[in-house]
Amino acid sequence: MNPLELIPLALSRLAASKMRAVLTMLGVIIGVGSIVALVSVAQGATSGITNLIEGLGTNLISVSPGANNNGFVRGAAGSADTLTLADAEAITGVDGVDQVAPQVSTIAVVVAGDRNTTTTVSGITPAFQPVRAYEIWRGAFITEPSYRAGLRVAVIGSATAEALKLDESAVGADILVGGVPFRVIGVLQPKGILDDQVFIPLSTMRDHFVAGDAVQSISVSAADPATIPLTKVAISNLLRARHGIADGAEADFTVIDQAQLLSAFGTITGFLSLLLAGIASISLVVGGIGIMNIMLVSVRERTREIGIRKAIGARNRDILLQFLVEALVLSLAGGVIGIAFGVAASAGVGAIAGWGLNLSAQTILLAVAFSLVVGVVFGVWPARQAAKLDPIEALRYQ
Amino acid sequence: MSLPLPAVEPAAPPIEGAAPVIEMRGIGKVYRSGRLEVDALREVDLEVHSGDFLAIVGPSGSGKSTLMNLLGCLDRPTSGTYRLTGENVAELNDDALARLRNRTIGFVFQSFNLLPRTTALENVAMPLLYAGVSRGERNARAREALERLGLGDRMEHQPSELSGGQQQRVAIARALVTKPAILLADEPTGNLDSQSGADVLALLHELNASGTTVVLITHDGDVAVAAKRSVHVKDGRVAA
Repeated sequence: MNPLELIPLALSRLAASKMRAVLTMLGVIIGVGSIVALVSVAQGATSGITNLIEGLGTNLISVSPGANNNGFVRGAAGSADTLTLADAEAITGVDGVDQVAPQVSTIAVVVAGDRNTTTTVSGITPAFQPVRAYEIWRGAFITEPSYRAGLRVAVIGSATAEALKLDESAVGADILVGGVPFRVIGVLQPKGILDDQVFIPLSTMRDHFVAGDAVQSISVSAADPATIPLTKVAISNLLRARHGIADGAEADFTVIDQAQLLSAFGTITGFLSLLLAGIASISLVVGGIGIMNIMLVSVRERTREIGIRKAIGARNRDILLQFLVEALVLSLAGGVIGIAFGVAASAGVGAIAGWGLNLSAQTILLAVAFSLVVGVVFGVWPARQAAKLDPIEALRYQ
Repeated sequence: MSLPLPAVEPAAPPIEGAAPVIEMRGIGKVYRSGRLEVDALREVDLEVHSGDFLAIVGPSGSGKSTLMNLLGCLDRPTSGTYRLTGENVAELNDDALARLRNRTIGFVFQSFNLLPRTTALENVAMPLLYAGVSRGERNARAREALERLGLGDRMEHQPSELSGGQQQRVAIARALVTKPAILLADEPTGNLDSQSGADVLALLHELNASGTTVVLITHDGDVAVAAKRSVHVKDGRVAA
């Protein structure tokens, strides 16, 4: 007998009790649906984060001050005042370094007309725009002359502009930053990350908000992505020498690049995907038990049918296959419906989160394979029970 | 029960030298439940030749159901030899028994045993599925069998839409569709009214007249008169 002949038989059998078939499939639908949805949401989140990190500027190396180590209490990374403007200037001379952008930030209230918002105000140099890959939407970025002169000019992020209800006419508007009057000279394109910021010249920052020589971070763009590891070592060696740190002692700064950041996020999201898929698999197992349960009931209900089939010549193997195919059709149909639900759910989440639909062929194949495995694993035992029935007793069964 | 059947002809003498379709020698069947042993059949000898119409008659509990199960290869004897078309049934495995049930025997049951929610055509075609016959040929042969039994207009009906007599004719069509060596009918009239029962017996008679070997198992002596010859089962033994 050709096992494919059993598929229409199984389909008509399931069609005869549709409600039962649907309820039985529900477990697999939920299981497969949540695997597809969760895995693709995790993949979407990963690619969203990757895009954001890449949007921070390609070839970016970040130098941050070390932690404030005050006796027994270790402060947050970047809390110490160990990096200076002079360090930034020194890094400019390192091989493989293209541009260097030191940054000093503070939190301040920004007022425009009758609107106000509290946001990060960063003092930067003109090199900041190319290094961090910001693009101007309206107006211009801070120029070398205005940096030198310490002018009270500001470039505002897209989110800040929105919060202050500043539109196309924002350029030229007068705002108050921490009570000090500034003129808006530019508005930035949105990047999806770090859009709520106000940038002013670093010199102006020193004059009005943060005195001293310390900087909170130094962004460095590498001339060649291939030499980033070497450039990092060179920067590190330079700063250790400047700070007088002995060989083997812990540095008072950290140097990281995009690849490190990406791989750190990759580790986190990979673990997250695995965790979510693991949780979803549990519901798939529960769905499989549902199939086994119904198949066992079905074998009992159809004992007489099994007896008749055996009496007219069905071999044990034919009966086994018949019930196995039924379980497989159930789990596979559940899997397909589950994939449809999962795709719909991940499309919905992707639309809301703005990273679109992230669906790989592997996810779909994995889901189909899982539902097949569930069908076989949980269908084989009831099918064996059916195949083992004694034809005489099965025929007598009422 | 009076039957509108032609007078029973004397059993045709077996053709000299031809091997019988069914040959049972010293068949015994013991059922064990715990320490209890029940001899359902003892020292049964039985021969059925091609073209024969044998009635096996016995009251309930006589062992005739056991004999029917053995004849139908649903069970194996505990002792003795049973040759069906020359094959020793006791030596066969489950698959080989299934093949004999499929190709060599056609079953007709008291309670019809048609699959519910399945059309007459599909029911009749089913044994051919297990014989590995292609779908097209299965349907053609099933259609032919149903037409032969006068059910040409009932092919797409489900058992619940058919009368008892019609259901039994569908069951006979299913038994005949594989062109078996013998038709094994177990109380085929037991669930039918007297008219339908008479029709079924007439049909068996007609089938036998056109060459089908028939073994009829019944408790009813009136039914047995339809056969060419009959044997009686009592306390697990068979007597002519």
